[in-house]
Amino acid sequence: MGLLLELAAGGLIAGGIYAVVAMGLNLQYGLMRIMNISHGEFLMLGAYLTWFAHTTFQVNPLLFLPAAAGLLFLLGLAVYGLCFRRIVRTAPSLEVIEARSLLVGFGLMFLVQNAVYLAWGADLQGYSFLTQPVEIAGARFGANRLLVFGFAVGASLALLALLRWTLVGKAVRAMMQSPTGAQLVGIDTGVLHPVVFGAGLALAGVAGALLSMVYVISPSMGEPYTVTALIVITLGGLGSAAGCLVGGLLLGLVEAFGMHYANPSFKMLLSYGVLIAVLIARPQGLFKR
Amino acid sequence: MSDWLRQVLIAAALAGAALATAPWVLGEFEVSLALTILMYVGLAVSWALFCGPTLYLSLATSAFFGIGAYVTAWGLGTLPYAVVVPLGGLAAAAFAALVGAAVLHLRGAYFAVITFGLGELVRHAIAYFEKSYFMTVGRVLTDTPEKTTVYLTVLAIALAAVIAYALVRESRFGLALGGIGADEQRAQTLGVNTRAVKVAGFTLSALFAGMLGAAIAVRWIYLDPPTVFNPFIGFQTVLIAMLGGAHTLLGPIVSAVVFSLFTEFLRLRFPYAYLLVLGTLLIIVVLYLPRGFAQLWEGWRARRDRPARAAESPRA
Repeated sequence: MGLLLELAAGGLIAGGIYAVVAMGLNLQYGLMRIMNISHGEFLMLGAYLTWFAHTTFQVNPLLFLPAAAGLLFLLGLAVYGLCFRRIVRTAPSLEVIEARSLLVGFGLMFLVQNAVYLAWGADLQGYSFLTQPVEIAGARFGANRLLVFGFAVGASLALLALLRWTLVGKAVRAMMQSPTGAQLVGIDTGVLHPVVFGAGLALAGVAGALLSMVYVISPSMGEPYTVTALIVITLGGLGSAAGCLVGGLLLGLVEAFGMHYANPSFKMLLSYGVLIAVLIARPQGLFKR
Repeated sequence: MSDWLRQVLIAAALAGAALATAPWVLGEFEVSLALTILMYVGLAVSWALFCGPTLYLSLATSAFFGIGAYVTAWGLGTLPYAVVVPLGGLAAAAFAALVGAAVLHLRGAYFAVITFGLGELVRHAIAYFEKSYFMTVGRVLTDTPEKTTVYLTVLAIALAAVIAYALVRESRFGLALGGIGADEQRAQTLGVNTRAVKVAGFTLSALFAGMLGAAIAVRWIYLDPPTVFNPFIGFQTVLIAMLGGAHTLLGPIVSAVVFSLFTEFLRLRFPYAYLLVLGTLLIIVVLYLPRGFAQLWEGWRARRDRPARAAESPRA
């Protein structure tokens, strides 16, 4: 029983982070058709900023969480203004926006990753934070892991609430349903697009900051999270934030149990297998009718 | 036979004859550099063969390349090099036909992501297979062929890719591919079996990538999945083709030469700064020259021809 609980907890903790990363990407793709393949690199940047603030200025990583979100949000505004605004304006069709933003994403991936390599080197980095174990129902967890899980689920639920009950959230949902209709009722794309793009990166930054409290970090850590986020989006369905939360937790569980019962090197195989199976069988997502 | 096709064939024959003398004329370093260039010419042209006209964005090149390389790794001890290379191409082509039939109904970013995922899937599957059945993470290649043989083989494959590209573009098959890129439903209405055409194009493109992987695998003495399924090979191929102009033949060739030279001289000395520059360049080109550097050339030609009101040629 203790083992099952520990496996499930491990899966849910990873899954919570997956959900936050995927929600950020889903906002960008669902609203603007920007396939931001560099999403994971911004997660890595968030992790490095947190690590840097903690080891150099002794800032509490939890207190740094809003700062990481804010910095990445501003960076997102800048990236949108410099790169994606032009693509969205000049591309003749949605398909072309997707293709071009994918290529720009690759460019950003090279850019961010190698800037971090230059700044902080290729070594693995990390710090220990709240590692004392906590015992619940016969299973032991690191306190930091529970904290990370709580914050990840909290951030996801906060975003869901924001989308559901605020005017901005309503505007975002309207824009996803019908871009033209939303513009007709006075929703300003010129403001909403950069803000939502920035919010997506802010979520990646939060996920990265949370990650750095639990795992070691390296400049090449971002790409697997991008792929995972894509898998989660595929599972949950495009533009569905709730689907992301469920899909993320589900994938975390599948990976945790698959790794334990099959083979650790089986993990990537399993997630790619899930991605390809879902893409072929149900490209609209598992939870859409 | 059109003028353009004749020109391409003559140019390919001349270039092939000139390049075939390289192992006897140039030094070892220059030949090795030429080998890299030819590899990227072959990869970029075969990528553009399918992705140029159809506007599909495939990131599966590294998967095809790696499959070919692993056919060499497994077969070279028992089979001769001349058999292993086409076999590698056929294995990649069979894989492409199989997955193409399953995923080519997807478009846009979904297709790009799934082809990238497939490459990683094959890589992890081979790593897993090797570890559980042969207790090994990589393979050492023994009795590799001579460097000259490898060079001439890669040259032949690259030339074959260029000629195949030209022949396809002039054929009904090429027109069908272009029709799919312009408007798939309309092409269907006009009687094109789009599914078969897409799978055939994807397979043909994989054949060359697989042969190149099989031919060049002997360059590495030690082979393991991260080396041959390196996603960077796939990315660089797409970048080369897009930067040069994926809808042209000359664009990818020229940009393969320029890029390989850049990579050779800058990447080893300033690895991180090189990729920083590459990323920036990619973003700038996508934003301001979405049809690649060929766009500059086409613009210049259009301006030159406009006073004469000559019909604008679609070829570059």
